[in-house]
Amino acid sequence: MAIDSFDSAVDGLLADAQASLQSVDSLETLEAFRIQFTGAKNGALKSLQKLLGAVPPEHKPAAGKRFNQARETIEQLLTEATEKVSKVSSGKPISSTGPLVDPTLPGLRPRIGVLHPITQTLEHLKEIMGRLGFNVTEGPEIEDEWHNFVALNIPEDHPARDPLDNFYLATAKTILPKSSTETQSSGNSSGGDIAARLLRSQTSTVQIRVMESTPLPLRIISLGRVYRPDAPDATHFPMFHQMEGLWVDKNVTMAQLKSVLRLFATSYLGGDVNVRFRPSFFPFTEPSVEVDYWWNGQWIEFGGAGMIDPNVFTAVGIDPEQWSGFAFGLGVERLCMRRFGITDIRDLYRSDVRFLRQFAS
Amino acid sequence: MLVSWEWLSDYVKLDAALEQVVDQWALSGLNHESTQWVEGLPVIDLEVTSNRADCLGHIGVAREAAVLFSKPLSIPQPTFEESSENVSSFLEVENQFPTVCPRYTARIIKGVKVAPSPEWFAKRLRSIGVKPINNVVDVTNYVMMECAQPLHAFDLAKISGGKVIIRPAGDKETFSAIDHRNYSLDSQMVLIADAHRPLALGGVMGGLESEVSELTVDLLIESASFVPMAIRRAARKLKLHSPSSYRFERRIDPNGLDWASRRCCQLIQQFSGGKVLQGVADSCSKPTPLAEVSLRRTRVTQVLGIDVPWEKTQSILTNLGCKIVASTSDNLQLQAPSFRQDLTREADLIEEIVRIVGYDAIPEDAMVPMVSSARRPKDFMMATVRSVACAAGFDETLNPSLIGKTAIDRISPWTANDPLTTSVPLLEGAAVLRRSLIPSLIAARLHNQAQSNRDVRLFETANVYLPQGSQLPKEQLCLGCIAESDPRWVRGVFEEILERLWGNHCSDLQERIIDLDFVERGTAIAWFVDNSMVAWVGSLSKSLAQSNKLDGPVAIGELDLDQLLTRAVLVPRLKALSPYPAILRDLNFIVDESIQWQGFRETIQRAAGDLCKEVVFREIYRDTKKDGVGKKRILLTLTIQSDTETLRSESADASVAQVIAACQKEHAAQLLA
Repeated sequence: MAIDSFDSAVDGLLADAQASLQSVDSLETLEAFRIQFTGAKNGALKSLQKLLGAVPPEHKPAAGKRFNQARETIEQLLTEATEKVSKVSSGKPISSTGPLVDPTLPGLRPRIGVLHPITQTLEHLKEIMGRLGFNVTEGPEIEDEWHNFVALNIPEDHPARDPLDNFYLATAKTILPKSSTETQSSGNSSGGDIAARLLRSQTSTVQIRVMESTPLPLRIISLGRVYRPDAPDATHFPMFHQMEGLWVDKNVTMAQLKSVLRLFATSYLGGDVNVRFRPSFFPFTEPSVEVDYWWNGQWIEFGGAGMIDPNVFTAVGIDPEQWSGFAFGLGVERLCMRRFGITDIRDLYRSDVRFLRQFAS
Repeated sequence: MLVSWEWLSDYVKLDAALEQVVDQWALSGLNHESTQWVEGLPVIDLEVTSNRADCLGHIGVAREAAVLFSKPLSIPQPTFEESSENVSSFLEVENQFPTVCPRYTARIIKGVKVAPSPEWFAKRLRSIGVKPINNVVDVTNYVMMECAQPLHAFDLAKISGGKVIIRPAGDKETFSAIDHRNYSLDSQMVLIADAHRPLALGGVMGGLESEVSELTVDLLIESASFVPMAIRRAARKLKLHSPSSYRFERRIDPNGLDWASRRCCQLIQQFSGGKVLQGVADSCSKPTPLAEVSLRRTRVTQVLGIDVPWEKTQSILTNLGCKIVASTSDNLQLQAPSFRQDLTREADLIEEIVRIVGYDAIPEDAMVPMVSSARRPKDFMMATVRSVACAAGFDETLNPSLIGKTAIDRISPWTANDPLTTSVPLLEGAAVLRRSLIPSLIAARLHNQAQSNRDVRLFETANVYLPQGSQLPKEQLCLGCIAESDPRWVRGVFEEILERLWGNHCSDLQERIIDLDFVERGTAIAWFVDNSMVAWVGSLSKSLAQSNKLDGPVAIGELDLDQLLTRAVLVPRLKALSPYPAILRDLNFIVDESIQWQGFRETIQRAAGDLCKEVVFREIYRDTKKDGVGKKRILLTLTIQSDTETLRSESADASVAQVIAACQKEHAAQLLA
């Protein structure tokens, strides 16, 4: 195509557009204008672009420039037309036959899963204790009597060792544990040859494993599942989680125990929290205390704690004259339930997504 | 332990109000459960820890109050008239079972008149929940509630042969107790018997036949000591728990037998008359030696982190019943009282000091030196695992570690060994340690189905328990996933986790189609490293899904997180980007239904050569009208890129041509133009 005829086609198009603009006065006429000039298939601009292809190469730069100017002009006219129409129809609902955006539709939300509240609590506890210098450790859930009882200074005649109060494996003896001498002698090997095994009833077992294998000083926590045969009700479940803390060093005092627990509580609960000790009895600590927190105007039971019993140190080959330390244990479910307003512990283990999805955080 | 406030005043006169005393008890070791008013008088329920058997009697509780409020403690001195006759001419005690009954003492009272107890006395017993019976039985109960030593009164006329024998019960020997029930005994239980028949189950309960009745005239008063574990075992086994067994289980005062026996005689004589025979039949008259414990002043401070004045330390321990044998300015040698069997070591004494001084004295702002601590690699890994699963829309669930024995519960992809079981079920019917997380996840899915919950995708990270013969079982940390319909949802989660954590190590994985009996045939796929399975994915078999009434297809899979950790690269390292542009080519092949992506992709990669950086699967669809039945279309994208030059379109075309040719040759694939 000659450059002249291309130019005249451009002129004609622009003149047409100017003329047609006058008749645009509604959404319908605006749409007709848009299709006539800028329609993707048979719009006038599209046709002009096809003509451009036929322009001889030496004129192409000039023709291309002309075309671009024409397109800008048409787009400008279309914008004017749109403004004109929107003024006419402002305040009135825009009606159209084509699909329209509804900005009030809900967003396209990704369906993101939610962490279990117990996991959230465990991670929270690890984070706080990590800042206080406590490293996370783990141990097996299926234990031998040495780690679950003997090394923890729980003697054979202690009620905690009753087979009915523990989940012994069915292959193990179920009537009575072995005599103390037998258990002692085979116990120190801390190996798998002990016949009686059970699901650990406390995470204190990990203390023993760590003290047996790690050089002192130590500042650790262990978290995990523990098992005790309690009939399930709103506050009891036969499987639950504990966090155990252990600090062994030269000259660790009960005042430091209280101070660490206060730092923990202040971090976990927020605000300044006071700690109260009440005497208690645990075979693996002496003195032993129950720990309460003063929070929201009341004393809240938190868990048990105490100074590591010299017998425990002796059992794992640590000289209690040289080293001292404290241990504390707390129920994770209780902290979790208080934090999230959960009133029935059994809900934690029912896997109902209507429950689980509430703890998105 | 129920404590009568009025009764307590027999031993200690307190000025303090009840509430104040109760608070002090709580802060020094006797936790306050509740206070109730019975017949107009306060009765306090105290929680007594298992080491404090001395506080299972009013005197022990009174002693605590006396020490806390610095008041004198007065313990009655039992006196009574003795007849000229001696016990020894009427009774002999033969102990055949000293390992369970270290000491047995008996006194005899003749000519009593059994009748109701005086009202004030009966009222005291009623107030603490003990039903008054008669003036003999009531006294034995009263003295037990006074000093924590259980006592038993026998009708002497029912004991034949003038001899009390302490012996092991015979296996399956039956015994009629005063609760009118028969018990079948075993040889680890101790019987108090005469030559012909059992009289009492030692430490647990008296016998029906030798029970004191209104017709009883002569009495045998038993005050004995039994080994805690034996009594606990018997009480447990027979499900026969009594106030006596409760106290024996917690260890009674071995040197308190005589006081209790004499106190009993004194009160019986006071209420019922009768003559107490001289002396006592005693199986072992040696008193238990008292433990000596030393206490260093420095150690108190070292353990507690506070200074306690030395004089105060001494007075606390003395008031609690300890006897100072020797003392210096920084060392004490003490004898613990026999009623405090729990005080055997220095640490025990330090606890006594601090609980009486009060734990409030211990500061809560002591110095805590700073030390470093770091998250473990496992923590980093778990954060990735959880965040990927959540991002994929899976909610986390936690399930009990023990399951039942259904067909679903038998799902076990990791081991063929039988599962471990516990002797007591965790929950009803759940005594099997799970070998896979899938049974729990299917149960969770079913629970949600019953609630009409939709879009249920769940994951759990927990141990599975894989038996290994006589060794402790292997506890393998797993990620288990369950999704609706397509297993690719689960596979995608595993791929994302593996790629994030293993990076280049992913090439160590071999992918294999496997057979799992619980997975729909032909849908199970697994990944192995050195022939060890790292993960598997599949669709639950239709038969299991139907028999368990699952309302649709179920995608399941597990990933071994312990193995994942072994090759985890926790910190990603930058790989330099190629400065040269990539050429992307979309290809659409028509292939037979039987063609699988794994083989198809391998062909493409081999054919495309080194310049092919990536083969991305897009989708599979079927157009039976155009392609006919038994055909499917595979859409994929090739990324062709050089690290050393800008590729010309022709180079890419050459690669693509090779791919097309190879796919046609190896898979009879037709490129759709």
